[in-house]
Amino acid sequence: MSAIADIFSTFIAQQTGARSARVIDFDKLSGGAIQDNFGLTLELEDGSRLGRQAFVIRQDAPSGVAESLSRPEEFRVLQAAFKAGVTAPEPLWLCEDPGISGQVFYVMTRAAGSASPRTLVKADFSEDQRRTIVRRLGAELARLHTVRPPQESLQFLEPPQLENPALSRVVLYRRYLKEIGEPHPVLEWALNWLEDRAPAPGPTVLCHCDFRTGNYMMDGDRLTAILDWEFAAWSDPCEDLGWLCCRSWRFGADHREAGGIGDKQDLLEGYREVSGVDIDPATVSYWEVMALVRWAAIALQQARRHMSGEQRSLELALTGRMVAQMEFDLLNQIQELEDGQ
Amino acid sequence: MINQPETGDLLAEARKVLLESLAPDLVGKRRYEALMIANAMGMAIRELEQRQQGEPGKTDQALRAYLEEKSLDNSGAEAESALATAIRERRVDGDDPALRSVLRTLTKARLRVNNPGFLER
Repeated sequence: MSAIADIFSTFIAQQTGARSARVIDFDKLSGGAIQDNFGLTLELEDGSRLGRQAFVIRQDAPSGVAESLSRPEEFRVLQAAFKAGVTAPEPLWLCEDPGISGQVFYVMTRAAGSASPRTLVKADFSEDQRRTIVRRLGAELARLHTVRPPQESLQFLEPPQLENPALSRVVLYRRYLKEIGEPHPVLEWALNWLEDRAPAPGPTVLCHCDFRTGNYMMDGDRLTAILDWEFAAWSDPCEDLGWLCCRSWRFGADHREAGGIGDKQDLLEGYREVSGVDIDPATVSYWEVMALVRWAAIALQQARRHMSGEQRSLELALTGRMVAQMEFDLLNQIQELEDGQ
Repeated sequence: MINQPETGDLLAEARKVLLESLAPDLVGKRRYEALMIANAMGMAIRELEQRQQGEPGKTDQALRAYLEEKSLDNSGAEAESALATAIRERRVDGDDPALRSVLRTLTKARLRVNNPGFLER
């Protein structure tokens, strides 16, 4: 462990021009199965970043799978988001030479606080604090969505296959279901519903595509960083808003539609304040239904990784058994939308 | 063959030891793992109970009755598969209350095994 800390601290010292870099703290952070995240705090002498500095290093895990963006692609998305004024870790240096640490990696600043969704949803925030947090989440998305194609540095991002990103998603999730090969009548039914009711698309923008409670850091009631950019894509702005509001990501606080934290109305107000765009809440509701289908499809894929023997894991196996929850939510939510609740 | 105590009983007792005796002493990742194991065991226990009560057969019957009523192919081994195909191919009306009711029956049956608490939400 300390050998790898030395490799990273030497790399950072070289990048900053520091005369010396003393390791204060080094630990492996929790994260996905696909990436390794390390926290590294250094005392830097001289150079462009003086004194005590906390970094996060993100690199592919040895068993990495290529289902999402590569580390260099993720680094470039993070640069674009950071430049657009999104509260994200500052991307500092990308190392594409696997000879240094054994993997391609990049370094970013470390944000304070915690991303734990259960802690956040249970936190004792006042109504005012909730409003402020949720408006801020809306404002952050509005800033991210100012990034529009074409972008020289983001050419690896595929444009939506169809003119309407919603219909592109329907096609994609039908393909996922077909590949999984397990019958899911509720998901097929929901996909038909989504196909028949696709709203007129908004502009095509840079979407985070995993913006939910659990993927942003909070220090008390202050947002410190939006994390986990590996699913970023060109899509409809409402895909991000719908994903955040999806029932699965309210962590039991169902009445707080925006991430289990606050009201959807405040989220959209925060979005409007920065973008000047009035989002129709009905379009967000549509994308919440899409979000449930997407999460169900991802959960089925995760269970397959376990069942195929590619990655035996109790957590992945249990994720497969969660799909009935998304299906139950789909049945209820679609019924409620039709009943005009 | 008589093989007592029954599997469900063994599992329930093992789960109790895990939750009441072992898990309280665990923290962090180990505790999370213990709770995942208890969750998986709970599903196995409930699945055994549901089977003993003939629940999977009843759910299957409800699906087959629907397929028959709509004159859809009901000959395959898996009624669920036939239903998924009929929906995908748009051979049934998505707004039909009978369809929605059968989808609900199916989903509730799964939740009674996977997470009965979710049905109360």
